[in-house]
Amino acid sequence: MRSLLSVLVFVLAAVVSAISTSGNRLLVILDDVAEKESYSKFLGDLESRGFQLSFENPKSESLALFRLGERSYDHILFFPTKTKGLGPNLTPNLLVDFLNAKGNILVTLSSGVAAPNSLVSLLAELDIQLPADRTGLVVDHFNYDASSAADMHDVLLLPPPTRIRPDVKDFFGAGAGQDEVLVFPRGVGASLGASELLTPILRAPRTAYSYNPKEQGEVVDDLFAAGEQLALVSAFQARNSARLTLVGSAEMLQDKCFEASEVSKADGKKVAGTFNREFAKRVSGWTFNEIGVLRVNWIEHHLEEAGATNESNPKIYRIKNDVKYTISLSEYAWNAWKPFAVPDSDALQLEFSMLSPFHRLPLTLDATHSSDTAAAYSVLFKLPDQHGIFNFKVNYKRPFLSNVEEKNTVSVRHMAHNEWPRSFVISGAWPWIAGVGVTVTGWLAFCALWMFSAPVGAKRETKKTQ
Amino acid sequence: MRLTQSIIPSLLLLAAGVAQAASAWGFDDGNLSIVAKKSGETIKEKLNHKAPLQKPVSLGSSDTLKLSLTAKDNGKGRRPHQAFLVLQESESGLEAPFPLTVKENGKAAAQISHKDIPVQLLVAKKPLKASVVLASFGSAQGLNAPVFEVKIETDPTVPAPAYEKPLRYGKKPEIHHIFRPDPKSPPKIVSLIFTLAVIVTLPALLVGWAILSGNLTHLSKAMGTAPLSHATFFGSILALEFVFFMYYTSWNLFQTLPVIAAVAAVTVLSGTKALGEVQNRRLAGER
Repeated sequence: MRSLLSVLVFVLAAVVSAISTSGNRLLVILDDVAEKESYSKFLGDLESRGFQLSFENPKSESLALFRLGERSYDHILFFPTKTKGLGPNLTPNLLVDFLNAKGNILVTLSSGVAAPNSLVSLLAELDIQLPADRTGLVVDHFNYDASSAADMHDVLLLPPPTRIRPDVKDFFGAGAGQDEVLVFPRGVGASLGASELLTPILRAPRTAYSYNPKEQGEVVDDLFAAGEQLALVSAFQARNSARLTLVGSAEMLQDKCFEASEVSKADGKKVAGTFNREFAKRVSGWTFNEIGVLRVNWIEHHLEEAGATNESNPKIYRIKNDVKYTISLSEYAWNAWKPFAVPDSDALQLEFSMLSPFHRLPLTLDATHSSDTAAAYSVLFKLPDQHGIFNFKVNYKRPFLSNVEEKNTVSVRHMAHNEWPRSFVISGAWPWIAGVGVTVTGWLAFCALWMFSAPVGAKRETKKTQ
Repeated sequence: MRLTQSIIPSLLLLAAGVAQAASAWGFDDGNLSIVAKKSGETIKEKLNHKAPLQKPVSLGSSDTLKLSLTAKDNGKGRRPHQAFLVLQESESGLEAPFPLTVKENGKAAAQISHKDIPVQLLVAKKPLKASVVLASFGSAQGLNAPVFEVKIETDPTVPAPAYEKPLRYGKKPEIHHIFRPDPKSPPKIVSLIFTLAVIVTLPALLVGWAILSGNLTHLSKAMGTAPLSHATFFGSILALEFVFFMYYTSWNLFQTLPVIAAVAAVTVLSGTKALGEVQNRRLAGER
């Protein structure tokens, strides 16, 4: 009994501290375990959210991302390391394999420490370009922290990020106070390629630029990137929904940046507080699948016609049938599944396609099938007048949300011969039907006449004799 | 060595910054010229960081835009670390920075032609906003001033630069299937007229037979000689028509065929007798 109770308590505890939707084994790569003191709040936040942190040195021989073909860790967090490469256990190939196995990676860089080759190659593979020579420094002579970088201008003070597009949910800057700033000290900016899998979370201000402090201390002759082309924090989400986030400045995750009192704006305005701690929580939470994760609970489609059987998910429909399609979606938010709400100017769309879509229709919220943990979206439509093998396809890929790609195949048959309107309701067929009637009546009359008609006497016989 | 190299200028700048606290960057001798390659014509404008040019200048496909200025920190010619000419597309806010080549004394210059400008800005419909950014380390206030607007003129003889927007995940345009039109019937009145015309042929046929002295006077004779056979034979012909009617309205082929077989058997059996009687009448000269 007691053991049962303890098991129950254990299960409940597990439910309460359940965090990421994809496991809680977090590998933290850093040079020296002593370094983690400066990140104590950030790492403490991660631990309090239920992650099991294992600290490893890149040179450690026991370090292995895979064991017997399975991931040994669910997530990796890279802090800047001074080594040029990351050793044989963290080659770019292994890291790509890790992403392919749906593992998530959070990379932090620092301008003081050259990025390891392994990470530079991995980022290049994802179309994220770092400055040449693996080093760069982002400065902004207009938005800097006057208290700690009055001359070097390399501690940027940024407003919290806003939504990147009106149809994308604001995961990272929502709810930030007006006077709160993000401190971005001595960071590296990246330039993102045109890939649709890349999204900047935090862009540099318009007047910021990146330069090489070793070679371009006097003058910027060759500009890597400037202004909003420079991504300070960027997100990559692979097609399998594995996530990689690049944070240009590891220092922004340190305890001292979580404190508000140590910064002041260039124009002397007071700063109400730094947003770094909340931002760090959101960026790590997003990377490690705690927010922005979508789940399809169920999909149902059926014939929505008077007198039709209410069978769910039939294999076959007829052309021009009225069909109702419903999909139930949940979104994970930190510790619970919530009903997924589509952003206002966005739309969840259903495609009914054979090779190419015949219909692409927006799905609307169906309150009767929704619950506290799931939202159902449905649409009622008429199947096209083309028979063949069709797919109900929901292809919902959006920045910062895990990918939803659902395909349900059904046959659409043509009209059976007895499903057409009868000929007597078609006015154009009336002369033909009348013709059949007249022929039948005429035939019967002819039969009677042929059998029962009597000759009219002499007239016919005279003809015969003649 | 590298480290000291990088530190020394910053230390120098730091010292300079302390010395000239609360100074600000600006520029003098701002000149903008647009040199047309073909005609060799040059348009010259004076630039001022306090007031941007009123009218946008236009930059043709073979023209070169030349900008020169002297960067000044509190009136003294100096070299700023950041000296950019920034072109901005007004609708999307997309920007392209062009670093100026700056000399020690603050003299800065830049040359821009079509091939230097990113294609996203080249295809812009509205004039691009150009601003000069001058700033450096230390406490001197940076300058970020709009100075002029430039209209990109494309050469109609040269194909326009192709620009394809990169794919971004988002909602796609809706598609509603366009159904084939339903089959149409002619106006009802036409159908009715022709139906009537068809029906009228039946009385016409009967009247025709009557004029040719068709009659049914032998009916009583036939019924007297072979009543059962004649009734069944004629009845089976009627029944067959009824079977066809049922097939048209509700029966399927497998319901119809056995009934037809049964009716046909009756027709053959009764028909031999009934038609035998007709033959007898013919042999008797009564037909």
